[in-house]
Amino acid sequence: MNSIKKVKRMYGAFTNAGIQDFIAYRASFVGFFLGEILICFVMYFIWKAVYASAGNSTFMGFSMVDMMVYIFLTNIAGFLTGTDSTYSIAEEIKDGSIIMRLIKPVKVDLSFLFFELGNKVMIISCVFIPVILGLEIYRYVMLGYVAFNPIRLILFMFSISISYLLAFYLNLIFGYLAFFLLNLWGFNILKESIIKFFSGAIIPLAFFPEVVRNIFEYLPFASLTYTPVMIYMEKYNGSTLLLNLGLQLLWLSFFIWLSKLIWKWAERRLAVQGG
Amino acid sequence: MIEVKDLKKEFKKTIKSPGLKGSIQSLFHKKTEIVKAVDGLTFNVGEGEILGFIGPNGAGKSTAIKMLTGILTPTSGTLNINGQIPYKNRKKYVKEIGVVFGQRTQLWWDLPLTETYSVLKEIYMIDDNKFKERMEFLNDVLELEDFIKSPVRTLSLGQRMRADIAASMLHSPKVLFLDEPTIGLDVVVKDNIRKAINQINKQDKTTIILTTHDLNDIEMLCERIVMIDKGKMVYDGSLSKMKDTYGKMREVDISLNDKGEADKFDLEAAFKFEEDDYDIELKGNKMILKFNSAKASIPDMLDYILKTAGVRDIAVKDADIEEIIRRIYRSEVNLDEQH
Amino acid sequence: MRFLRLYKTFVKQHLKNLMEYRVDFLTGAMSFMINQVTNILFISIIFGQIPELAGWSYYEIIFIYGFSLLPKGLDHFTSDNLWKVAYFIVRKGDFDKYLTRPINPLVHVIIENFQFDALGEFVTGVVLFTYSSIKLGIYFTPLKILLLIIAVVFGMFIFTSIKIACAAIAFWVKRSGSILQVLYMSSDFARYPATIYSKGVRFVISYVIPFAFTSYYPASYFLRGGNPLYCIGGTVVISGVFMLVSILIWNRGIIAYESAGS
Repeated sequence: MNSIKKVKRMYGAFTNAGIQDFIAYRASFVGFFLGEILICFVMYFIWKAVYASAGNSTFMGFSMVDMMVYIFLTNIAGFLTGTDSTYSIAEEIKDGSIIMRLIKPVKVDLSFLFFELGNKVMIISCVFIPVILGLEIYRYVMLGYVAFNPIRLILFMFSISISYLLAFYLNLIFGYLAFFLLNLWGFNILKESIIKFFSGAIIPLAFFPEVVRNIFEYLPFASLTYTPVMIYMEKYNGSTLLLNLGLQLLWLSFFIWLSKLIWKWAERRLAVQGG
Repeated sequence: MIEVKDLKKEFKKTIKSPGLKGSIQSLFHKKTEIVKAVDGLTFNVGEGEILGFIGPNGAGKSTAIKMLTGILTPTSGTLNINGQIPYKNRKKYVKEIGVVFGQRTQLWWDLPLTETYSVLKEIYMIDDNKFKERMEFLNDVLELEDFIKSPVRTLSLGQRMRADIAASMLHSPKVLFLDEPTIGLDVVVKDNIRKAINQINKQDKTTIILTTHDLNDIEMLCERIVMIDKGKMVYDGSLSKMKDTYGKMREVDISLNDKGEADKFDLEAAFKFEEDDYDIELKGNKMILKFNSAKASIPDMLDYILKTAGVRDIAVKDADIEEIIRRIYRSEVNLDEQH
Repeated sequence: MRFLRLYKTFVKQHLKNLMEYRVDFLTGAMSFMINQVTNILFISIIFGQIPELAGWSYYEIIFIYGFSLLPKGLDHFTSDNLWKVAYFIVRKGDFDKYLTRPINPLVHVIIENFQFDALGEFVTGVVLFTYSSIKLGIYFTPLKILLLIIAVVFGMFIFTSIKIACAAIAFWVKRSGSILQVLYMSSDFARYPATIYSKGVRFVISYVIPFAFTSYYPASYFLRGGNPLYCIGGTVVISGVFMLVSILIWNRGIIAYESAGS
């Protein structure tokens, strides 16, 4: 009990700061969000043309309605799991302020994490809930019945939380690359497009040839957005669902371990070189 | 040369209350207020003059300088420099001025200094002979040789400042604006830069307007100062006159051997001081003594202190600008010596 | 002449820097290339299932896509500094510098920086464009080559003018990066034939944010022999109008510029 209080006191401030940061920079967030939504609409039109050209109502197991839910949900999942930890940490490594984190009695990863938690609270209330609502209304209009399943929503939230942590640690590791790289910005675009591709944000993994798909589904990228979205869309059921959740947890623990390892090495390096 | 009349600049500023609550409030309605950064300045500067432009932080110095340099458009008032209106004929006007902002460089971060100068040569359309001659002169005054081949990002603060001043002087401007040219530099470097500024002023008859927080800058460079506070002019006149009037109070910091020693001082008897003429502050065995130097000279005062009490250390402080400004402000006398 | 000399000095210096940070340049350029390649894979996978998309064949789609990267890549290469204006330069008051020089601030901002990373986009565009042209058997007469150059250059001006207008908004609101971000991202609509969009969207991308004139319309002239007066003349006229308006906005913005600090 006591320790929970302590954590709340120590890191609650970071969360608070995260919420304020979101409000202060809401304009740039809104800009980014609208940009992503625009791209969703580009995808919508392309798929509409694809379905029209294919002449089938389903295309590789996805109906047009499925496809729309998939595109928007993947994008929202991208927002929920999106993290600035790469830039935040790289910035601090470059200007040397990273040493300040060493002299404070807080853990590096947790302080970043709680800061972003504030951000996520805002994203869930300002973006996630309205978009889910919109999607379900769209589904109701298109299908004629309510397709919403609250249990799936809960499972989705659980799965996406793991995804977020996974993305966080993955990005943290990329951030540590600032110790070696100058053009982290270019590198980050590379990382983003690779993640986007392998996590199925551009094309559902189900559309790939069987062999490729099997490999992709086991890579950590699938755990980032594909798994939670598949769960919400009821494409993963029973043992497949459990298997994929397990896989997410497995990758998460691997990346936590790896980030700690790299941080320890960085700490030693900082202690020797003084930043 | 420079004529400024009733110059004003207003900004709209949003007010945000602190904390989470404040941020959320600001989402729904923004409160704005109008800030008068510069509120009716009037002064003239003659050719070849060095004018010290001083005032506390946020007094409106930078805003005024930015209007004079054509960066900001005034809300109202008139400006005439070299027969031109800065914000109107900006492109033509800036050919005849040089600007240095001490807080930020105008050099290209990745370019070697020589390249920066050749880019500026093109920008200002300086012909080859003139450029060569100018480089030699600036090299001489500012001693650039040691680092002229290095990229700007590798220069020390002092080197960078010299490089920046050279960059602003390349096109032989008639007016030079220096905004905090010695900020963050050490004493020796400051001194070199002051000498260079003086030399440039003498040789080219360049009119110089300079803002600073360092009294020594003013003392070594400026005959005349304009002081502003809260956007308004509070003083315009010579430095010596200001110091005569307001710099009389001098401060002596004394470390006493023992706290009790303080009781031995009786300044009213020794110098016929009245209540306004001195002020004593005690902190442990440290004593801060402020007194009117018109009634007691510094040597006399030191003599008296050493005779009266056991003293471990003693330091005489110069009256700094902030202190003088504070005093001018407190006295609530309008010292506008406008002709 | 003077601008060319200035331009040359900056290019030379940037090239030197490029050599110094070779790895960074390569990652940057590679990133943009791979970003495009994933999209091409997307198109290829779709065409594995359908013979044509809204009446356009695979190579025609690739042609339009590749074409869209040419003006975009060129603009990205030449005027990347405008992003910095929108995000930091105005907010931090660093725009002061440009206003104390006897040279047009807009020209100054643009010639000062180049984004070599953009070569990743441009080269991908050239490859896709050439490859699909060969596959489609498009024959380029000298006249067509001239029209191609005109279309690409004026298409670039459409991108640049939209960036100028968005960056200029920062003079009033301090930071306009997000507005620029949204409009820039909407150029993704231009990668595909305008005929796949609904009428409303098509109108918007043709005349409001006219990215369709940077790729789809000129490309359709080469592909299907559309009216060159509309397809390429349209690009020229629209980019002229947009450039004019955005320069007006920019000049108004400079008057409103408030610098930073007190």
